[in-house]
Parts: sequence; structure tokens; C-alpha cells
Amino acid sequence: MGSAKARTLLLALAGAFAAPAVPLQAAPLAAPVASYEISCRLDPEKKTVEGTELLTWTNTTSRPAPTLQFHLYLNAFLNTRTTFRRESGGMSRGVPIPDSWGSVEVLRMTFADGTDLLPAMVFLSPDDGNPDDRTVAEVTLPRPVAPGETARVSLDFRSRLPRVFRRTGWKGDFFMVAQWFPKIGVLQETGWNCHQFHANSEFFSDFGDYDVSIDVPSRYRGKVGATGKRVEERQGAGDRVLYRFRQESVHDFAWTADPDYVVVKDFFREAGLADVELLLYVQPEHASQAGRHFRAVKAALSRMGRVLGPYPYPTLTMVDPPWGASGAGGMEYPTLITCGTHVIAPATAQKPEEVTIHEFGHQFFYGMIASNEFEEPYLDEGFNSYMTDRVLRATYGPDHPVVSVFGYRIALGIDRLYPVDVERRYFEVSTLDVHAQPSWKFRDVKTYGADTYSHTALALATLENLLGTNLMDRALRLYADRWRFRHPTLNDFIRCVNEVSGREWTWFFDRTFRSSGNVDYAVEKATSTPAKPPKGLFEQDGKLVEGPPPALARVRGYDSMALVTRRGETALPVDVLLRFEGGKTYRSSWNGEARWKRFRISGGPRLLEAIVDPDEKLALDEDHTNNGKRVVPDPRAASRWTARSVFWMQNFLDTLTVAW
Amino acid sequence: MVSPARTSGALACFGRGLRLSLSKPYLAVSLWLIQLLLASVLILPVSNSLHDLLDDSPSASRMVANPDLGWWETLLRTHPDLLGNFPDLLTGLLTPEGVTSSKLSGLRGIGGAAVSLGLLAIVLHAFALGGIFGTLREPHGSLVTFGREGMRRFPAFLAFTLAALAAALLAYRWVWLETGLALNERMRELQSERQALAITLARLLLLAFVLSAIKLVADSVRAIWVARPDLPPVSRFFAGIAGALSRPIRLFGVLLSAIVTTLTLYAIWIVADPSAGGEARFALVPLILTQQVFVFLRSLIKVGYYAGISEALTRTPSPEYSYVAAPPSAAPVAAPSADDEPALENPAGAV
Repeated sequence: MGSAKARTLLLALAGAFAAPAVPLQAAPLAAPVASYEISCRLDPEKKTVEGTELLTWTNTTSRPAPTLQFHLYLNAFLNTRTTFRRESGGMSRGVPIPDSWGSVEVLRMTFADGTDLLPAMVFLSPDDGNPDDRTVAEVTLPRPVAPGETARVSLDFRSRLPRVFRRTGWKGDFFMVAQWFPKIGVLQETGWNCHQFHANSEFFSDFGDYDVSIDVPSRYRGKVGATGKRVEERQGAGDRVLYRFRQESVHDFAWTADPDYVVVKDFFREAGLADVELLLYVQPEHASQAGRHFRAVKAALSRMGRVLGPYPYPTLTMVDPPWGASGAGGMEYPTLITCGTHVIAPATAQKPEEVTIHEFGHQFFYGMIASNEFEEPYLDEGFNSYMTDRVLRATYGPDHPVVSVFGYRIALGIDRLYPVDVERRYFEVSTLDVHAQPSWKFRDVKTYGADTYSHTALALATLENLLGTNLMDRALRLYADRWRFRHPTLNDFIRCVNEVSGREWTWFFDRTFRSSGNVDYAVEKATSTPAKPPKGLFEQDGKLVEGPPPALARVRGYDSMALVTRRGETALPVDVLLRFEGGKTYRSSWNGEARWKRFRISGGPRLLEAIVDPDEKLALDEDHTNNGKRVVPDPRAASRWTARSVFWMQNFLDTLTVAW
Repeated sequence: MVSPARTSGALACFGRGLRLSLSKPYLAVSLWLIQLLLASVLILPVSNSLHDLLDDSPSASRMVANPDLGWWETLLRTHPDLLGNFPDLLTGLLTPEGVTSSKLSGLRGIGGAAVSLGLLAIVLHAFALGGIFGTLREPHGSLVTFGREGMRRFPAFLAFTLAALAAALLAYRWVWLETGLALNERMRELQSERQALAITLARLLLLAFVLSAIKLVADSVRAIWVARPDLPPVSRFFAGIAGALSRPIRLFGVLLSAIVTTLTLYAIWIVADPSAGGEARFALVPLILTQQVFVFLRSLIKVGYYAGISEALTRTPSPEYSYVAAPPSAAPVAAPSADDEPALENPAGAV
């Protein structure tokens, strides 16, 4: 179909759908800044989506806006010279990126007064100056948009989708259509905040209302899921079907279509929280796991809702991408999340559960609490990882079934064994990067992932342990209430912590988030020896005589000593526990600033062991195995594990030799 | 020494092999001792490392019975010199990427020593196989026979072992790694994960089949090498291959019987879980004894397997007749001499 004909058809479709809109919520949740009316048509054979877009944008700053900047995200997949491809090194999620290209072309762009904006459109590379990157475009307006003024821009676009490898694209008849339309950046007092598409970064946009009409071949009937609520389905021209979705107070729109989907519905209802219709678009071979998806998302709706406030939208759509399209899985969009599972998915491994809970958590950290994912990725991924873990532990328990193989008890749910999985990612690279920085400035994808996800989750777990769960929950709730449908920064969360606790906690964030330091406290030495009377010359009756006076000569008990050291670069307050014979204990708090601190107890009972951070409050401590010392060694465990190791070695040799 | 009533099915051969193994327990003892001596090389490094890391730790008490996975995970991260990538090599063998020789450079400390011991064990096993096959042919064998036969056949058996090892490594590379690489992208384009799993399972079964075939050919060559001293070496070698090709089902059956018996032994161990009990220091003694009994039983099964292979190659099935035999007459009838293949039977005592 020619582009002119297609445009005519799309405009006709847009007109057909231009019925008066009925708000889905009684009152808008957020003042709309950037709203979109989009009509689009999927061509499954050409892997393209063509559409018209009407953008209604309000200048919320105090300065006039002479230009508009747009994200053209799909141009990240234009060729091998884009910033995304250069930064990714040809890999995405550990899989080589195929030579399948994507693009978004703006075919027409007119201002409300009819001025053609397209001739003035230029591509910008504000982050790296890459002249080959076309993911940000700027147009100069015929006149500036005044503060508080609302402007309308109409445009036609054609999006070509790649074979899915990074969130968006196709595989066979499956389509995950995300980051697919020209999308305006965020105008701030300092200017446009419109970053390029990077290998590691995600997104940032203003809230608005979305009214999107989707025209697909009829084989997709009933198999189209999208952001928001479906408000219309009707027969289109020829062998086509038309869907219309609407959602207010969101900042993005994604949709999916796959004739193989099995659509399962459920409903969430809990006192004190809002009702939510749950839709699961699941692959036939995973349909038996629908219940696990629903249980997980209901747990997240409940537990996160009680801490962060109710999920306010009427629908939540969960998408299970097909085999070979895992690049589309594990991603969040407003009111729509993509999950991911396998045919063989033991319940103990909690694979679909973890990803479902995590992606739902983004409805708060990204969706409603819309921090800038480009510049502060830890505010969504890290905070969400922390909340994901809390929900998982509360719902499924911290313990994992274990099976003993040759004396080695193996946890069946090792994938999410807390905090091992978190440690594994972060502690290997704990000092390689500043933990909190813009996503594209990390050394590589490994430090980005470890610092953004794992470090933040561990830092927040540490903060919770230092503050107490009650205060932590109050701080999170204040943060969520205050910044719902706005764009917070880390400083805004710190202010909430300070307010709730009544104390200054900025130092904690400076040391943990804004540094590249690691945390490691250790007990270097612990001794306890029978106390001995002093020797030497002592003054008695005005004379120096050999031997101590009777008061000093009478000694009892033991002289004990524990040497605690700070091996890591980051200092945090920490407790030290000395455990004595007879069940007596001595607990002391140390501010952890110096490189070491020695504890001496004279004449007391015999010291058994010294432990730094006995309650394991410092989740950031990268080596818990050095946190304690016994005065009297206990060789039983080592002997037993030696026996097991030798036995294991015998079996290894036996198996190895029998093979040839 | 075979009675005419004996059958020559795989299970029967393995059963006879087990009986032979039990009748000559010093063979299993020899295997067990070799492995114990090899494994004991690691006792000191493992013990010293663990005592150094655990004895002073407050975690020690609770780790007597509980492994504390987090502790081990941290240990491997903070002490990469202890094992290197040894655990990754073991667990990565059947991953899509597999294990390539370049990854051996990541071995460290005890992990590196374990792999070296593995290679040494393979060499020593060649000696042990010569002793086992040779002694099994002797009506009155002993440890002396085992040593003599082992030394006598060591050069040839080491060559067979190395050839089998090379063939197995090539099979791993071509059947698992190369097919994995070749199919990697196509697998992602399949309609469903079930199809991908089926292909992976097929590759796995093919690998198991090829490795089994390599092993059976090698064992067949060894058995015939001992059973037919009358033939020149080259003829013995090819007779061994011909022996494997002429009785593939029976040999696979013996191998399968041995595998099932061994797995049953492991299942019993896992269910009984003797490693779990007893935190007292003296509990270590029964644990070690139980472990060594287990390894000894494995050695018995292993010797039984080799004896079973020898039986399977040197026995032939009872002839089938197209007529019903007449009822036995009152007069004594000379019984058939044997249901064996005389050409393959080595006269007892012949060396």
C-alpha cells in the first residue's frame, strides 16, 4: 500500500475513532502534560506500523519554548553506527544482536497553525555527540510556546520493527510494539531533557492521556493487549479488526499482538485497595502457569499497595512473550508488563513469580513515581528490586527446599536465594564504578546491572535495618504519596527519610549511593586468657617494692580482647557483640569510622566469640564470612566437610574413569 | 566353566559379571584403594583450607549439619584461588555453550589439582583394567595376578584409553558443542520452547549414545585383547571392534544394567542421607566408613560391568531349532559340549 493511500486511510480511521471520550477515572490522577491520540495500522508482513499522531503538549515551565524535542527510539536499531549499537557491543542480554533493523520515520509534522515543521527538523546527540545517532530530533516552532500554553502538533509516522531483541519487535506473528511512536521529551526549567537511546538506559516522559486505535488483521482478533482499557472492538475494512484503548495519567503506551495468545482473566479485590482487572496474554505452552502469574501479581498488588499506596488503574495486562522472543520479556510499561517463563519452571525456582512481581513493581517505581530512568536508573530499578525481594520473601518465604547430594545440601530455589543472587551480581564489581550515576556512564553492562539493581537493593535493605522497618515503610509511603505522578530525584527520597526519622541521613546516601566504596567489616582477632596479677615494682607505704599490693594481686576471670577492623572503603555504624561463657554478652555500637577498634574486657568470664554486625544489618557487607572469630576453634564443620569433599572427589574420579 | 543352562542376555551377562566380581572382591578393593589414594592427595589442602576458614568462624557450629549456601557462595567469591572455575566447568558441561579447552586456564588451587588427579586416575585406570580383565580370565586369580596382568597390558590398554578419550572429546565437540553453535540461532526461531527442548534432548541422547558406543568399543577391544592372545595384535584389535559391532544390543544392555544399578545405589544414598546425621565429633568415623563402603560397592558394580562385558563377548546364545526336540530317551544322551562360541573361548589358564 502506498504511503499516501495509507495516510488517507489512517486519517479516516482517526476520524472514525474521534468519538467523544469518556474519562476512565472519575477525576484525572495527574494533570496531563503530553497527551496523544494515535491511530495506527499493523502490517505483519512488512513488520511495520504506520500511524497518525496528535500530540497535545503543555509548557509547564516558566520559560517560553521555541523548540520541541522528540524521542525517535526505534532509530536506535537503524544501523551499526547508532549509539545503542556502539555501546551494546553487539550483544543484548547476553545474546548476539541479529542484523535486523528498525526505524521510525516522521513523514509529516505540522504545528497547530498548519506550519510544516518537518523541513526544520534536525537530529541531536546531546549525550555523546554521535552524528550517526538519530534517536533525538528537534524542530523549531514558528513561534515559542508560552509558559502554561498548550500546543498541538500533528504528525504521520512509519515505524519499522526489528526482530525482537531489545524490548520491542517481532518474532513470526508475535509483535511487541513499544517505543514505537515519535514521543516528546520533558521540558524542564533547565531546558529539554531528551536523552538518546543508550544500551543500558530506559526512559523518561511526562504524564498524559493516551487514546490509541490499532488496526490489525482479523487473525489477531481478541489477541491484542495494550496499555489501558480496551474501549472498542469492531470490524475494520476488509479482513481487519480495529481496537481502541484509552488510559489517562500515564507516560507511555505499548501494545502487543499474537494470534497464539491464550487470554486469561482474573480480578484483584482487597479491602482498602482499588479493584483491578487482570489480563494475562500467555503462550499456550505456558498456560498451565497462569495461576502462578496471578498469585504473584496479586501478592505484589497487595503488599506493595499497602506500603506505597493503591495501584490506581482499573486494568493490568501481563504479557508472556513466545519462545525466541525473550528480549521482549521482563519489561514494564504503564498498566502493561511483560513477564517470562519456561516450560520447565519448578515452583521452587520462582522464575515467573520473580519477574512478574518485579515488573509489576515498576508500576510504582517508573510508572507513577516517574523518576528519570536515564539519569537516575537506581531510583526505579534499584528501589523496585528492593521491594521485589520484600514481596517475594513475604509471599514465598525466605527458606528454600534443599536436597542432599553426597552430603551437599542443594537449594532448589537457588536462583533467588536471598541475598546470594544479589551479592553475586554486585560484590564481584563492588568498587569498579560510582554506584549512582547516569545509566550510560557506567563502565559496562555488568557494573550498570550490579550497581543499579543489586547495590541499591542492598543499600536500601541496609537502610531498613538501620532505620527499622516501620520507619522505612513510612519514608517509602511519604515518598510515594508526595511524588506520585511527578518526577522525583534521589534528594527527594532523602528528604522523606530525614523527615520521617527526624534525623539527618544524607551522609548515608553520600557514602553508599554517591561513592564507589565497598563495605566490609571483620573481626581480626579474638583472645581470652586467664587474668594474671601484675608484676614489677609497686609503691606501697611510700616505697617501691617488688610485687603488687594485695588489692591488685587478687585477680579473677579472664582478660579478653577483640580487634575489629574496617576493611572496606565505606564507613557505616555497626554493632559488635562479645559472647562469654555462662551466656553473658556484651554489645557495643561503633561508628565504624576508624580503620580498627579494639575491645578489652578484664576479669570477666571467658570470651567465646566476637561478632561484628551480629544482626547482619549491613546487607552491603561484602564478606560475611569474616564477621566473627571464635576464641576456641571448632573443627567439627571443617572435618566433616573435608570428609564430604574427599568422598565427592572419589565419586568424581570413579565417574571420570568409568567413562573410558 | 560355563554351564549349558546359562543364558546370554544382557541382564544375565551383567548378573554373572556381578557374581564374578563378588567372587574376586580384591579387584574391587584394588579399584577402591587406587581411588582413595588419589583422592587422599586432596585431603590436606582441602582440610587445611577449610580449617583455616571455618574453625575460628562463629558459623562453624551451625555448618556442621547445615551447608549455609551463602557462606560457600561468599567463600568462592572471596577466595577465587581456592577452586578457580572448577564448579563452573562441571556445571557448564551440558550448557548450550559447553566447556571448551580455553576455560581450563581458569582452574586454580584445589580445582586445578582435582582435574590433574582426574587425568592421573584415567591413566591408572588403564592399568587397573588390564589387571581386571586379565584376572577375570584366571580361575584362581589374586592381587598378584591383578598387578602382573595390569603391568603386562598397560601399554596397550593406555593406548586404548587415550584413543577412547580422544574420541569422546571429539564427540563432545562435534555432537554437542558444534551442533549447539550451528543450531543456536535456528532454535530461537522455532515455534515453541517444547520444540527447542526436544532438539536439545535429541542432541543429549545422541551424545550419550555416541559416548556409550565409544566406551563399549573400547571395552570390547580390551576384553578380546585379553581373551584372544592367540591372535596377532592388529587382529585382536579388529576382533574387538567386530565383537562390539556383532553384539551391540547385548553390550548396551550390560552398560544400561550397570548404570541403573549404580543409579539405584545413589538413590539409596540420597534417601538414606547418611551425611546428615550426627554433629558430634565421633560421628565422623561412621560417616567416613559409610562413604567408603559406598565407594567400594560402586567399585564392585564397576568390576561386575567389565566382567559382564567379557561374558557378553565370549558367550553365544543357545541355538534355536526349527523342530521340537524329542523327549529325552532313557538312554543317556551326550549333552552338548557348550553353548559358547569355541573360537572366542580362551582355554582356562592360558596367558
